[in-house]
Amino acid sequence: MMSLIRVLHAETLKLKRTLAFRMIFVAPLLVVALQFFIAWKQPRPGAEFNLWDMVARTSLSVWAVFMLPLLITLETALINGIEHGEKQWKHIFALPVPRHVVYAAKFLIAQALAAASTLILCAMTVVVGLAFTRLRPELPSGAIPFVWILKHAAFVWLASWLIIAIHIWVSVRWPGFALALGAGIGGTFFAIFAAGARVGKYYPWLLPVNVFMEERFTTALLLGAVGGLIAAVIGCVEFVRRDVV
Amino acid sequence: MQKYAVETCGLTRRFGARLAVDDLNLLAPEGGVYGFLGPNGAGKTTTIRMLLGLIRPDAGEVRLFGAPLAADRLSLIRMAGALVESPSLYPHLTGRENLEVTRRLLGAPRGLIDDALGVVKLAQDADRRVREYSTGMRQRLGLALALLNKPRLLVLDEPTNGLDPAGIHEMRELIRRLPVEFGATVFLSSHLLSEVEQIAGHIGIIHQGRLLFQGALAELQARRREHLTVGVKQSEQAMRCLGAAGWDAQRRDDGLLAVSAATPDAAARINSLLVSQGMEVFHIALAQASLEDIFLTLTGGRNETRRAA
Repeated sequence: MMSLIRVLHAETLKLKRTLAFRMIFVAPLLVVALQFFIAWKQPRPGAEFNLWDMVARTSLSVWAVFMLPLLITLETALINGIEHGEKQWKHIFALPVPRHVVYAAKFLIAQALAAASTLILCAMTVVVGLAFTRLRPELPSGAIPFVWILKHAAFVWLASWLIIAIHIWVSVRWPGFALALGAGIGGTFFAIFAAGARVGKYYPWLLPVNVFMEERFTTALLLGAVGGLIAAVIGCVEFVRRDVV
Repeated sequence: MQKYAVETCGLTRRFGARLAVDDLNLLAPEGGVYGFLGPNGAGKTTTIRMLLGLIRPDAGEVRLFGAPLAADRLSLIRMAGALVESPSLYPHLTGRENLEVTRRLLGAPRGLIDDALGVVKLAQDADRRVREYSTGMRQRLGLALALLNKPRLLVLDEPTNGLDPAGIHEMRELIRRLPVEFGATVFLSSHLLSEVEQIAGHIGIIHQGRLLFQGALAELQARRREHLTVGVKQSEQAMRCLGAAGWDAQRRDDGLLAVSAATPDAAARINSLLVSQGMEVFHIALAQASLEDIFLTLTGGRNETRRAA
């Protein structure tokens, strides 16, 4: 446990001045900018309309289906890319740190970055919603749905663990951005086709958005979180056995 | 009894069909500098990677300070510091931050960072980003990373690669100080005999994965003296002629012959012999034995692959 804390402590320093750190702010900003545009153009609503419903649901859905998978792709490629750049693996493995701890730390850091960015999205979503209660007071609103936002943000994040596990393995296994980004963009792109199909229920890149569908909710959460942990363990076993040449 | 910092027993490693390291038995005594010498591609880096547990041997064993590495790698590796090939640095971090990353991984006290910076004389530039560093500064920072935990064993793989003459001199002085000032054993690999013989007390020579020589530097130097280089137009004929007269002659890559003799008297006799047989001698000199000459001596000219290349 102590060695895990030491490795996590070192990982946080490596993030300093990196794009990986800046992206946890940029990605949610892009989503709320889109959100702002949608709310601005919102036509005169029907009686059922609620500003907070629209803002929170759109924000988290866009995040789950599109931005979070891409953010995970980028973050994992970046945090592992800095280890491939000057062959840092050989230095790290020549230190008295167990390899499985190094892998676990990479997985935990990617989870933490995804969680931080999702929380920032929640905060920005609330700010955008509050702004619209002033900018367009004619739109019906109500109390801020803090609980709904945080609960669903947590579901989206938990369901994304399988994507994180896949991307950690890919970006640790192969140097260079091309394959890591290709896998992420490909995975997100095919999600469009998989969404309507039955396989969409199990497709890793759709799991975060599936938490919004009642009939897919349980599978998304179980396969995303538990499947993600299992996939991380499998990736870790492969990582530990590999030669560092 | 002699204690060894590094011992390998029958160490063997293949990459596909290629035997990179073949039944290697190294003995690097504690204290002092052990020079691990061989041309590029001889198996030095593969051996070093096995010493550090980065790759697993197909056969054989590595022992550090008498204990088998496979049994307790983490606690043994804690006593070692390493700089393998080029230094592994994070260019977006400063020199000090790079050391801090390793310090955190080691769980070592903060004070060690300034100590290491002082040893490699980088204290002044410690707060600059590494992407602004020169090759020499990067190499010194790599050495500081290896030294951070005050290791009992320091493994350095070609530490002067890419350095200019001033950088090489500085690095050499630094390595020479380590056993004296810190009591560390230095295991140093190089492809340059001239570099290793200035700092190493013990030498191991590896070629095509096999150990050709191991022993004290003095022992190697004794072997080196037995050399003449002879330039003769009819080299094939000269090799036969010298062989018949009892000298061992091998053709070097530059066309000269390396002859197993090293006295002025022998040089005169060889010259007379060749000239009397009608051969044209254009060069004869006491050899400043290069690593290549030593390989030729040690292998007795069995280096068909290398010579063909």
